[in-house]
Amino acid sequence: MARPLRVGKYKLGALITLSILVSVSGYVQAESFAFLDPAQLYSTFIPDGWVFQAHHSTTQLAVFYGEGEFDLLYFESLGETTYVSVKELAERSLDLYVSPGGLGEFRLERPLQAVNVAGQWGLACGYSYVDARGNHLNEYRVFLLLPGNEGFSIAVSSDQPSIIDGSFLGDILAHWRWLF
Amino acid sequence: MLVVFLVGLSAPCGQARSLAPSFEGSLGRGALPEVLKKYGGVYHLPVHKRLWVDEVFSRLVSVAQRDDLEYTLIVLDSLELNAFALPGGYVLITRGLVHAIGEDESKLAAVLGHEIAHVELKHGVNAVFRQMGLTVLVEVGMMALEVASADLLRMAGATLLQLLNLGWGREAEYEADLYGQALAIKAGFDGAGAVGVLDDFFLSSSEDLPMKVFRTHPDSIKRRDRLAANMVSFWATPVPIGDRDLLERLDAGRNSKQDERKSDPKDRYAVRIDQNQTGLEVFHQDEGRTVATERWLENARAKDFSWSPLGQYLAVLVDDDSQEQLWICDRRGQVVRIIPLPGKRVTDLSWSPEEKQLAINVAGPNGPEVLVTYAKADVLFSIGGEFSGDVSLWLDTGLYFAQGHTWYHTWGPQVTPVKIPSPVPRVLQRQRILSPQVIKEGNTIRLTRPSLTIP
Repeated sequence: MARPLRVGKYKLGALITLSILVSVSGYVQAESFAFLDPAQLYSTFIPDGWVFQAHHSTTQLAVFYGEGEFDLLYFESLGETTYVSVKELAERSLDLYVSPGGLGEFRLERPLQAVNVAGQWGLACGYSYVDARGNHLNEYRVFLLLPGNEGFSIAVSSDQPSIIDGSFLGDILAHWRWLF
Repeated sequence: MLVVFLVGLSAPCGQARSLAPSFEGSLGRGALPEVLKKYGGVYHLPVHKRLWVDEVFSRLVSVAQRDDLEYTLIVLDSLELNAFALPGGYVLITRGLVHAIGEDESKLAAVLGHEIAHVELKHGVNAVFRQMGLTVLVEVGMMALEVASADLLRMAGATLLQLLNLGWGREAEYEADLYGQALAIKAGFDGAGAVGVLDDFFLSSSEDLPMKVFRTHPDSIKRRDRLAANMVSFWATPVPIGDRDLLERLDAGRNSKQDERKSDPKDRYAVRIDQNQTGLEVFHQDEGRTVATERWLENARAKDFSWSPLGQYLAVLVDDDSQEQLWICDRRGQVVRIIPLPGKRVTDLSWSPEEKQLAINVAGPNGPEVLVTYAKADVLFSIGGEFSGDVSLWLDTGLYFAQGHTWYHTWGPQVTPVKIPSPVPRVLQRQRILSPQVIKEGNTIRLTRPSLTIP
């Protein structure tokens, strides 16, 4: 019934679809791809084996599933905030994650430490928690406060504890480009 | 009780006024444990839902009048659809109602605004004293209560708990409806949310709903009609336009309007009225080519139609046994609501830019009229008897309507979407089941997309 999307008409759908460009450049693996944020805030490289989840993504949120049952990678733009520092953003987030209604059995495995994402300084940490189905999950998250006090987050999670050292994000962060 | 009253009268008024709120607070605080026990205790909403609910509540409290007490919001661990307020500023809402409201901030603001209104207007404490036969105390306000004994507090607390099941009384509910609606609008929410709440959770015929929300609130149809009719009171009095440039633009807009509103803004469909049969002929377009055809509203005698600016809705003027009706359809041709217009003839339609509202110009026995309605909420009101117009244009700056060569300008209250000032990133989990839900809507099958789980 619905006709195919056209560029410039349906911003979200079209840009997401067209921004998943298969890259064949020398340093990128064959099945990896370049991802361009539909809101034109950033671009990066998505490694082999990760699939963009269009139906779970919005203009503020990009979600990818990996090969493992719990492998999840997502980037979220929080829009303009009232935070005065990335420390405030990170600490408030962790406070809420640990609070009632937050994450079950939350445990900070790796404390906040400075990280540079394409010239923007942020804070990163690793933690574990138990989800509503009782699965023990691990997550590594980068908090950023971009110019204009715009909050941003990069997260990767898995049932594998090794995810919380952040090394998985290495290639993704190395290819990260801000488009502002 | 008499002793308490007499001692109270001898107290200095100034002191008494400052102590009165503490009595309300003691009364509410005293009843709170029983209420929590009855409704399963405190429920901690997931982080993002909590931030959203808190922001709506905070905006309402910021425009509340009473500064002699602090408002507290408590979410109860009950699936019942209910909300109420205790004296002293305690506003309680069940998790069931929060869930049922979903993401509609105007409805949440309507519920919380109504309950804040009960506190602002002291309905709870007044009802308690009336029930206890202490009407004199009510008449002299709270002045006698600085010497409230433990006995009085205990008795009042017991009465309060009894009354919670019955409500504060019909007049108090009417008063809280209008006060709460005004509070919500002042806080930047859409006042139609109050009508939507009553329609969805009390007047709805859905068998899925426990139908318990506002069960203590009387005359729901009368209440929703009063709230809908009250919407016009928040609109600015129309003023004639004198600006020559604006007048030229409005006249130009009037001339080009007829063609613009016939086109689907997203070029998905070409629609035309079937002259021989009833309904609309719909041609699905792809790059300007027709790829499929279908018929919408097959049993309706369509006379005219107008697409909303973003293409989400189609307003269709239908002739039903010599009575005109306006049918609002979604973008798939499903009827969202039908607006009967008995004795009136529609002369023009104009969608608001965000396509939530629609102005309807009608001619009737009393002359032309400008009506305003909502795409989804069952609200319809007239801009005012002395102002009329046979054509209208709804621009970003408000609603313009003209009769002959005179244009008038009016506008409704500003609606400001909720924005969390200090948001935190979501923590997502993978969805295991990605199968969409299949929903049958007449001859159409619709698939829903699975949603992410958030903490």
